[in-house]
Amino acid sequence: MRSESKAITEMPSNLAIRIEDLSIRYKINVEAKKTLKNAVMRASKGQKIRTRTVEAVNHLNLDIPHGSVVGIVGANGAGKSTLMRSIAGILPPSEGRITVDGKISTLLALGVGFNQALSGRDNIILGGLAAGMSREEIESKTDEIAAFADLPEGFIDMPVRTYSSGMYGRVAFSVAVNMTPDILLLDEALSAGDASFKEKSFNRMRELCAQARTILIVSHALASINELCDTAIWMHKGKMVANGKPEEITEKYLKFLDVGALPSSYEDL
Amino acid sequence: MSVAQRKIQVFEPHRASLPKLKPYLSEFWRRREFATELSRFTDKAEYLESKLGKVWLVLNPLFLAVIYFLLVSVIRGGSSKTNGFTTLCHILIGLFTFYFAQNTILAGAQSITSGGRLILNQAFPRSLLPLSSALSAARQFMPTIPVYIAVVVIGKFAFPDANLPGLTWNYLFLPLLLIPLAVTSFGLALLFATMNVYFRDTSKLLTYITRIWLYASPVLWLPEMVHGWHRIILYLNPLGPVLSANSRIWIEGLAPTVAQLVASAIWSVLALLLGGYFFISRERDFAVRI
Repeated sequence: MRSESKAITEMPSNLAIRIEDLSIRYKINVEAKKTLKNAVMRASKGQKIRTRTVEAVNHLNLDIPHGSVVGIVGANGAGKSTLMRSIAGILPPSEGRITVDGKISTLLALGVGFNQALSGRDNIILGGLAAGMSREEIESKTDEIAAFADLPEGFIDMPVRTYSSGMYGRVAFSVAVNMTPDILLLDEALSAGDASFKEKSFNRMRELCAQARTILIVSHALASINELCDTAIWMHKGKMVANGKPEEITEKYLKFLDVGALPSSYEDL
Repeated sequence: MSVAQRKIQVFEPHRASLPKLKPYLSEFWRRREFATELSRFTDKAEYLESKLGKVWLVLNPLFLAVIYFLLVSVIRGGSSKTNGFTTLCHILIGLFTFYFAQNTILAGAQSITSGGRLILNQAFPRSLLPLSSALSAARQFMPTIPVYIAVVVIGKFAFPDANLPGLTWNYLFLPLLLIPLAVTSFGLALLFATMNVYFRDTSKLLTYITRIWLYASPVLWLPEMVHGWHRIILYLNPLGPVLSANSRIWIEGLAPTVAQLVASAIWSVLALLLGGYFFISRERDFAVRI
């Protein structure tokens, strides 16, 4: 096993993300009641708490160069979200290594940390601080973020609970793309807003790419993957099935959905 | 671009149960502003629509102190007015202080399970969430001190014979006591926050535990009421030494004993080490457990 410092020096300068033999497994509690009472009752009967091991990502290798837009497709339970969370440093690898070069911004769970009682402005500040920015940094960007989110006049200082779901999604998306990230991770975030916001967000992502920033997108919107990405990956049951041009990958994936067993019974990760 | 200029992060499996503590603690320190602002914003959201909201934070223990005082007086079969006022002051400052610890532990215990989306979306030291709860509890505790002082000043005019200290240098020990009080509470908050991720009824159970803990602490009774080997209960209780020393300063005007200071320090180190180990060694699991 190479040391961490060696992994840093060996990271080629053209790469934003290097994934080496990555496996992610974790145990989940499958008890109906995840309570201390239930644990004590089972222990008194000499039984253990029932758990199941989920093998979310299985020996994955991947190099992603700076400035690329990578789309990740796959059925529910393919391990796409787990992969994104592990690149963000949220979920630890069980085996292998992930080396990331650059500041990461994430939109992996919609409405991240948003407090419904607070105003959009307060939530933007909170979101920026959670992403690791200083208060001064995020305050200097608040107006830009609010303008990008296209909120009706005055809404930025109103409680978030008064927002429509579209407005809510646009603010979350706007925070993520305006953090000047080196690497942007988006999980099912392309559906935020209407057609005009979609175009605006695509343009913003293209701008980021032109600045050699890297974007990873998990989406079931295959047309958007084709339009936006220069590479696509198809994942199935934690493994990378195919990697290549988006049109080819999405076509293969669609064929699989037509002829293969529908993976709707798999666990949604 | 040289390696030094690049911001490279490496994510690997934990070889030991704990992550490397130096980078963890430096990230914890770097992100402390997030904890303070999260605490400030959470408080703001909680009391946004209630003008009296924050006042209740003081009124609640104040009313409770009066109720407990009446109960204690009835059980004891009454007491003189001056002794009664001293007892009321002891209960009042004891409750205010105990509530700081209780609020830190109760809110901290729920901070991870209620921070679901934040945990699923961002990578940051999760201990910042219980820290944020502790900061909120401290912000709620601070205004209770002037309220207590006001009660004492008014009481001294009403009961000139009341046996309560005036100004003394020993009050300078109070900030010193706040440190083990806050650290012990934060350590226990880390412990219960982790338990609550695995067993969701922990926070419910805690409400009963803290109630019993209050009765077992020198809040409704004076530490001097316990004699001989029974005094060990003051030291077996993680908050016992701090609350005893607190009462000694506020009610008797005396400096804390060395035993009280040492026991407070030992409990705070134990609570922080145990809670910190339990929490940090498991926090990378939180994203799949909540």
